[in-house]
Amino acid sequence: MNKYVPHVLVLCEDDANRQIVNGFLLDPLLNPRNIHVLGLAGGWRRVLDDFTNLHRDAMSANQNQYMVLLIDFDEVENRLAKVKEVIPPNLAERVFVLGASKEPEELRTEGLGTWEVIGQNLARDCRENTSVTWSHRLLRHNAEELKRMTPILKPILFR
Amino acid sequence: MIKRLYVNNFRCLENFELPISERPSTLLFGRNGSGKSTVGVVLEVFQSIANGTNRVGQLVRLSDFAQERSDTPIRFEIEVVIGGKVYGYVLAFERPDGFKEMRVFEEKFTVGGKTVYSREGAQVQLAGMNKAKAANFQVDWHLVALPVIQEQSKTDPLYIFKTWLARMLILAPIPSLITGDSKGETLTPKRDVTDFGEWFTGLLAYSPGAYTKIDSYLREVMLDFKDIKNPSSGTDSRSLTAQFQQDRASISLPFRNLSDGEKCFFICAVTLAANEAYGPIFCFWDEPDNYLALSEVGHFVMALRRAFQNGGQLLITSHNPEAVRKFSDENTLIMKRPSHLEPTIVRMLSDIQVQGDLVDALIRDDVEP
Repeated sequence: MNKYVPHVLVLCEDDANRQIVNGFLLDPLLNPRNIHVLGLAGGWRRVLDDFTNLHRDAMSANQNQYMVLLIDFDEVENRLAKVKEVIPPNLAERVFVLGASKEPEELRTEGLGTWEVIGQNLARDCRENTSVTWSHRLLRHNAEELKRMTPILKPILFR
Repeated sequence: MIKRLYVNNFRCLENFELPISERPSTLLFGRNGSGKSTVGVVLEVFQSIANGTNRVGQLVRLSDFAQERSDTPIRFEIEVVIGGKVYGYVLAFERPDGFKEMRVFEEKFTVGGKTVYSREGAQVQLAGMNKAKAANFQVDWHLVALPVIQEQSKTDPLYIFKTWLARMLILAPIPSLITGDSKGETLTPKRDVTDFGEWFTGLLAYSPGAYTKIDSYLREVMLDFKDIKNPSSGTDSRSLTAQFQQDRASISLPFRNLSDGEKCFFICAVTLAANEAYGPIFCFWDEPDNYLALSEVGHFVMALRRAFQNGGQLLITSHNPEAVRKFSDENTLIMKRPSHLEPTIVRMLSDIQVQGDLVDALIRDDVEP
């Protein structure tokens, strides 16, 4: 990864999200050098702790750095607002928060495929400006964040 | 793509079946001595046969019998899907009481479930296919029949199957021994890839367009990469040189002078290009993360996985946490051998309960197949 060109760091709450990202990384038109997946945080609060303690200052110092926080919303309505409270205003435009409305496990049990297949389909949606998988009832709450994210990250992530 | 690989009574593999059917890429993870590399050895046996080695003593040894149990045959079975058809090959070796040398116990080749030829001991039965007539003949018990049966044409199932086996990539590179010098060409590099120069020459002779793929991958991983040349260095020899450029300055380096990790980038580039040029191929790579900087491991593994996603099949072994994280429960096989007196056990990670972070659990040795 070249930190002097625009790039995206991904911070995952748990192993299921990591595996969905693996599928995303398999997209044939991905710019692989522009995305780096960080170690697992182990819970949404720890995602925020890691962001605050390990990445916030570095992001402030590097305008080329973007971050996607992948969390489980656990059906808590104000989870997104709680997370955004932690993101300082100077980084708000470069940090995006996505995740399943409950837990990613439900995506599999609802027949969307393995985690990697789900990740591949989410990547294709991002690349092709579609919402075939993103519109699933467990993911559609991400629409506003995706609307904000896609125009910024798509040119960085895809050829 | 390999649909089924079954091994019995060979080293640590007893009644062992590798569940990689329908998976474009799979990780083999396990402790040292769990049998990961032995899977590569089995594949090498098949490849050696396809390349013409048919003397049993050159394929297996008496010490290969699991627990020295020579009263049970060593058995290899493989099913491969090529162009939508299933090619099956069964081979078993035995050592009868009182004999010093091992010999063929059973051999069978099928296509789409139909037998092309079968063999018990020395007696071979060739089924009549297309215009060929059925025939019975004898082959020396100490010779495998597959290499000696004459294929009729390039559409003959025997030719298709042997070519597929021969073109498998079975890699465990030793970069310090790779010079980039060559005196010929090949499409099937040695396991240690010391014939990299021959492989590079062979690939570009077969498909000059493959250079584009090699070039694009190397530019991605080495920002100052300019090109690679393979000029004559004698009457029948060549020597690879890599050129790097920054701003207006450039430097040309003999391949032998590249770092071990950089040589692995070149091997990866040629692997990706080979899969496109004469694939889809099967690639077994024993610990591809060896020699790589930590920041490169994930990219390296993902580049391979991405390339094999739409054709071919990749099987790698690794102990590296970053490589492990680039695979998922559905394509990670955990291998374990409780002791040297017990056989290897293999299970898909998706069939095992793992709490918390996978790598942490693997470090704690808490993942039980």
